[in-house]
Amino acid sequence: MPKVIIDGEEYAFEGRPSLLQFCLDQGIELPHFCYHPSMSVPANCRQCLVDVGAPVRDRETGEFQLDENGEKVIRYFPKLQTSCSHVISDGQVVHTARSSEKVERAQRDTMEFLLINHPLDCPICDQAGHCPLQIQAYKYGPEGSRFEFRKVHKPKKVKLGPNVVLDAERCINCTRCVRFTDEISRSGQLTIIERGVKNYPITPPGVSFDEPYSMNVIDLCPVGALTSADFRFQARIWEMASAPSITTTNAKGSNCYLWVRDNLVMRMTPRPNPDVNEFWLPDEDRLTYRWFNENRPCGPAALNKSGACSWDEAIQETAEILKNTGKETLFLASARATVEDNWMLMQLAEAVGRQVAGYIPHIEPGHGDGWLRTDDRAPNSQGCARLGLQPIDVKLWSARLEAGEVQGLYVLEDDPVAAGLCSAQALDNVQVILHYYNTTNQTLPSANVALPAATVAETIGTFVNEAGRAQRVVPAKAIKGVNRTLMMQMGVSRADQHGTPFDRWHNESHYVDCKPSWEIIPLVARNLGVEIAAQSPKKVMQHISASIPAFTGATYKAMGLSGVTLSPIETEVAS
Amino acid sequence: MTKAGDWQSYRRVLLPPVKDLHHLDVYRAQGGYEALRTVLNDWKPEEVTAEVKRSGLRGRGGAGFPTGLKWSFMPPVKPDVPRYLCCNADESEPGTFKDRQLMEYNPHLLFEGILIAGYAMSLKACYLYVRGEFSSWITLLQNELSKVYDAKLAGSNILGTDYSMDIIMHKGAGAYICGEETSLMESLEGKRAYPRIKPPFPAQSGIWGYPTTINNVETLACAPIIIDRGGDWFAGVGAKKHPGPVLYGISGHVNRPGVYEYPTGMLITDLLEIAGGMRDNKKLKALVPGGASVPVLRADMIDGVTMDVESLHEAGSMMGTAGMLFLDEDTDMVAFLRRVARFYHHESCGQCTPCREGTGWMENLITRIDDGEGNLRDLDLLLDLCDQMEGRTVCALADAAAWPVRNTIKRFRGDFERRCRPSAWAVNT
Repeated sequence: MPKVIIDGEEYAFEGRPSLLQFCLDQGIELPHFCYHPSMSVPANCRQCLVDVGAPVRDRETGEFQLDENGEKVIRYFPKLQTSCSHVISDGQVVHTARSSEKVERAQRDTMEFLLINHPLDCPICDQAGHCPLQIQAYKYGPEGSRFEFRKVHKPKKVKLGPNVVLDAERCINCTRCVRFTDEISRSGQLTIIERGVKNYPITPPGVSFDEPYSMNVIDLCPVGALTSADFRFQARIWEMASAPSITTTNAKGSNCYLWVRDNLVMRMTPRPNPDVNEFWLPDEDRLTYRWFNENRPCGPAALNKSGACSWDEAIQETAEILKNTGKETLFLASARATVEDNWMLMQLAEAVGRQVAGYIPHIEPGHGDGWLRTDDRAPNSQGCARLGLQPIDVKLWSARLEAGEVQGLYVLEDDPVAAGLCSAQALDNVQVILHYYNTTNQTLPSANVALPAATVAETIGTFVNEAGRAQRVVPAKAIKGVNRTLMMQMGVSRADQHGTPFDRWHNESHYVDCKPSWEIIPLVARNLGVEIAAQSPKKVMQHISASIPAFTGATYKAMGLSGVTLSPIETEVAS
Repeated sequence: MTKAGDWQSYRRVLLPPVKDLHHLDVYRAQGGYEALRTVLNDWKPEEVTAEVKRSGLRGRGGAGFPTGLKWSFMPPVKPDVPRYLCCNADESEPGTFKDRQLMEYNPHLLFEGILIAGYAMSLKACYLYVRGEFSSWITLLQNELSKVYDAKLAGSNILGTDYSMDIIMHKGAGAYICGEETSLMESLEGKRAYPRIKPPFPAQSGIWGYPTTINNVETLACAPIIIDRGGDWFAGVGAKKHPGPVLYGISGHVNRPGVYEYPTGMLITDLLEIAGGMRDNKKLKALVPGGASVPVLRADMIDGVTMDVESLHEAGSMMGTAGMLFLDEDTDMVAFLRRVARFYHHESCGQCTPCREGTGWMENLITRIDDGEGNLRDLDLLLDLCDQMEGRTVCALADAAAWPVRNTIKRFRGDFERRCRPSAWAVNT
């Protein structure tokens, strides 16, 4: 196998890797800004310079030339090479800043150049704290500055489009954003204008940067030049905790991080997963985080108790209704709820002698783009299908509901009225039990028992995306009665770990009084005298993966944080 | 006897003294396009390249790369892979104005050279990228080119042979960087003129990603002469290792600035004499021998130095484009360098960090010194910046910006130190 010697250590490699990527893969740090593994290599930041050489062979004999010490004579390239654009070949010798003063100086020099016209506004910059320029400047940059002139001034707070704001002065012209729109999203909405030190990226005249993937450039930007119009100045990076999750606006199941401060989700960023979304996230996914925070319920309610009641009362009331009208109740699963929740509902329906009728399809034809957006606006249709649930016949059930043929309706984390299944009036004489996320739920006024359910940001569970990939979510924010630090799987920030509930940043009202459906349903079942065997989501998934062939292999352990692709099944996910 | 030989009796071939030579009929009456006819009828393509190799012609665009060798880098012809010739007429190096003369007074020599070069490399199209500011010459070239097409000297079945080739003119938009070969190609393709990383070199992946050879106007204009008079004749003109006729663009404080055609290897002092000597009988102070980016020479460094790659290299400079700038004793070298630095600052494309940031910083420092507010340490900082920029960028613009700064400061350090504020502490030397 061909070998390369980096800083005196020998590494075997395969194929024709770029030196920078190879070093990063080996855990060797090389400072860089413009390089991104999924885009073309412009080698324009000149930060990843290294010294590369190769042993000299004798022209006639083909043997390596040796010096007086018997060591191979190395001939180095006359100039330092940018490691991002350098393709390794067998026998090459590489010196990074760890072993070459020349390289260390070159990297310091480049950093000095990068910083001379970069504003020193880190204290008010959104990127501070996770800024590649800031981090690498501390590590590789010079001490102080020798630049004694007015910095170049360029446009600030330019609204490129609805979601992205540009501060051109911070830009270091790595062209990642431009390459993203040219090569990845192919909208071509960004370009570099001006020349030399006045360069900055902008949209062409009359064009708004409104493509559906525009916010990815914010994550790509190695400085604070491109910021989110939505998240700008909202929170510092070190105040937030991030938890790995997936997006639920469509059936793609793009991997993301949920960033939480004081138990409010502040933003969503992509979590790289080569099998699902690579490095990207559509804007529509990112901007939905608000529904985790806003219009959230404060505890359960029951019509018979004339409004707000305790969880015990609400659950007893639910059981009561099911006892009376259980046999005539329409059980609706949900493509928005986790596999575990839906499975629980199936157990409950069985306990009262019914079958779950199916789930409400949320198909929006034409919404998908063949990339990270799908026609299906619900995250778990595939998971329902694998449980044996089908989308309900909306016309049929709509007619029955309007005709008053249904006496009870049990809705798991969905909104039949908003989905057009029935009108609110049609539910007047129906016993409705509703698991809901937000008070904007249009079925809520008709509910006899309203049970606030935990959202994807608060629950533990499994979603199966349209390609049959089972992915697990962990709670990002706590719900009422749960101490953040005690939730083992929850992301914690410094404030969570070292702060107290008496801190200024702590607000009790941000703890929503809701429960995950997988916790509510077994309680209801118990009140009906039925004990559901598996209680925790982990055990439920163990049970499901062992008993349902469509879920073979979908245990929490196997899914990890990046999911596992299940073997395909024949489904009729709503058409 | 100098390397240039008997230059007094040298007869001009690139810009011969013929009235209205830019007209097609006048050019043909002088035997124009006969070299092309000979080549198309009697020569094989590789014979043309071999003859150019024999002539020892080196590129006239500044780098001085052997032209025949460059042509032979083109990969073997594949029927479905297009390949291109590109003529770089984006002449914008300060102090260089020779290609303009060729385009104005002898455009058909250029067209004929392009067609011969195209035949030598078996290609079907040449892009002629002309600097946008040359608008009147572009009109002229366009007119003459259409006459060339009408006379069946270009286009399909040139002169009744099987060989077809098109010449496509493209107008630049006013950026110095477009004279860099790879950014010229980007610009041709309609993109922002950022130089490309080499390798791959243009011969592997040039215009639209296809094999491309790119030559300077004067280089291509030498081709018909080499065919007409033979490679051996060409090799016998001027300096042995850098032969041929050259257009010297002489400017600055001389009595008769202009473009002069002479063999390579001319003594700089002879050229100064040809240009009428220094204006007002002043003394020579400095000479920039090949366009603004080559290192400046002090007057005491030019004795016996001839205008060819070897001799200038020994003297500590470069041939460049042979655009010679003579500066007299009254010249303020700080102001001179300030203007040069301003040019490179203004023209840096901004792709690579060292050049984008460094050129501006340099101009700032030199401006400060020129304004009498500089410090002695600024000179060392300038030299430091040269180190930080040189050889660390995609193209050579950073080098071109750093060389004049480094060498002007080194060679005229006294001029700079006098303009700086004295050091806070006395310096014992």
